[in-house]
Amino acid sequence: MTGEASKAQDIFQDTLREAAFLVANREPPADRYWFFREARWRCLDVVAQGVQPEHATNESTELSPKAPEQIEQLEPEQLAIWISAAPEPQRSALALYYLDEFNYREMMSMLGLKLTDLSRAIASGRREFQAWLNTTVPAAASE
Amino acid sequence: MKRLSRGLRTLADCAPIANAKAPDRRMRTAVSRAKRTEDFAAQQSFDRAVAKLVQATPVSTEIQEWFANERMAEGAKRSWKKTALHPAILAIGIALVVIAVVAWITFDEQMHAFPGTATAKKLLNVAAMTRPSEFEPMETEAGTLNDLFFMKYRLEHYDVPPEFSQQRTIGVRVFDDDEAGQVAQISLAEKRMQLFLFPARRDSRSGKPEEFEGWRYIEQEGWTGAVQARKGVLFMAAVRGPKKDLAPYLTTKPQLR
Repeated sequence: MTGEASKAQDIFQDTLREAAFLVANREPPADRYWFFREARWRCLDVVAQGVQPEHATNESTELSPKAPEQIEQLEPEQLAIWISAAPEPQRSALALYYLDEFNYREMMSMLGLKLTDLSRAIASGRREFQAWLNTTVPAAASE
Repeated sequence: MKRLSRGLRTLADCAPIANAKAPDRRMRTAVSRAKRTEDFAAQQSFDRAVAKLVQATPVSTEIQEWFANERMAEGAKRSWKKTALHPAILAIGIALVVIAVVAWITFDEQMHAFPGTATAKKLLNVAAMTRPSEFEPMETEAGTLNDLFFMKYRLEHYDVPPEFSQQRTIGVRVFDDDEAGQVAQISLAEKRMQLFLFPARRDSRSGKPEEFEGWRYIEQEGWTGAVQARKGVLFMAAVRGPKKDLAPYLTTKPQLR
């Protein structure tokens, strides 16, 4: 989310330090999602202070049955770059969703989103990614 | 997914990539309905492929080291001692103990109650409050007073049991009580003891006096009474003090409360 490992490390350590401080004050984090919420807000704070990406209106298209084959041709870094360029809260929603470790309630809790907003962010993310795939891996996209 | 309702479509868009992770019935319903559509099959294939790519993302050694102690921030497990001393648990525990003690006392009282317990306790209060001047002076043996009660007050079977019949009296009185009926109260010289004779409670159906076997002890505000039922009349010897002050007078051992 930050685009720099050193910034991410600082945020990680700050988050742990905050958790340790809360534990020392006998107010430990209520659940493990606290760490994700806290780290995400810190990331957003850091990103807001840096250079902002230019947000263009992304193309979107219906999902293709060939999408799995297109995706197989991608490098993981390409996906990471695409997701990190998405606007918030879509970026966080897609990142959490595709980690495949949280259910929708947990994601709503961590992101502070309503179900309709979370659903919209994920659904539009899929269509936009499909449009990007069709441009990036056009050969596989041809039906 | 055009055939899905808006609510179910919203849920299906966030459907778990692994079906087993559906957290609630609403989501399971949405997934179940969505599976009947072609769009959802495409969505799941797409999501699985992306998730697979995410899983394949290499994690640098440096970042792996951050999570070497992933469980370091996990809350320490509470020991049973700490749990037991938690104020809420402690309060619940104390409340349960109090309830158990009260329940046991009530149960114990019920087990040892006898017909006329309430009246006997009331008369123990009377014993505590009666001044010597309220008695009619009468110096004789307690066992001889049954004639007086019968001749003067028409009280049948108001007999002092043999255990106390040899005791010297210093005063007597007979009075009416709302609950007990006609009560004979005798003041003894020894230990400022008092004796009571009053009608036994009658069964509401048969009309017969409710009686019981042997002696029964009761206690009320520092006074102790030993009660016996005979021929429809209850006899109570009352003394200011513990049970042991009365025990030597009773030839048959009373049921301990």
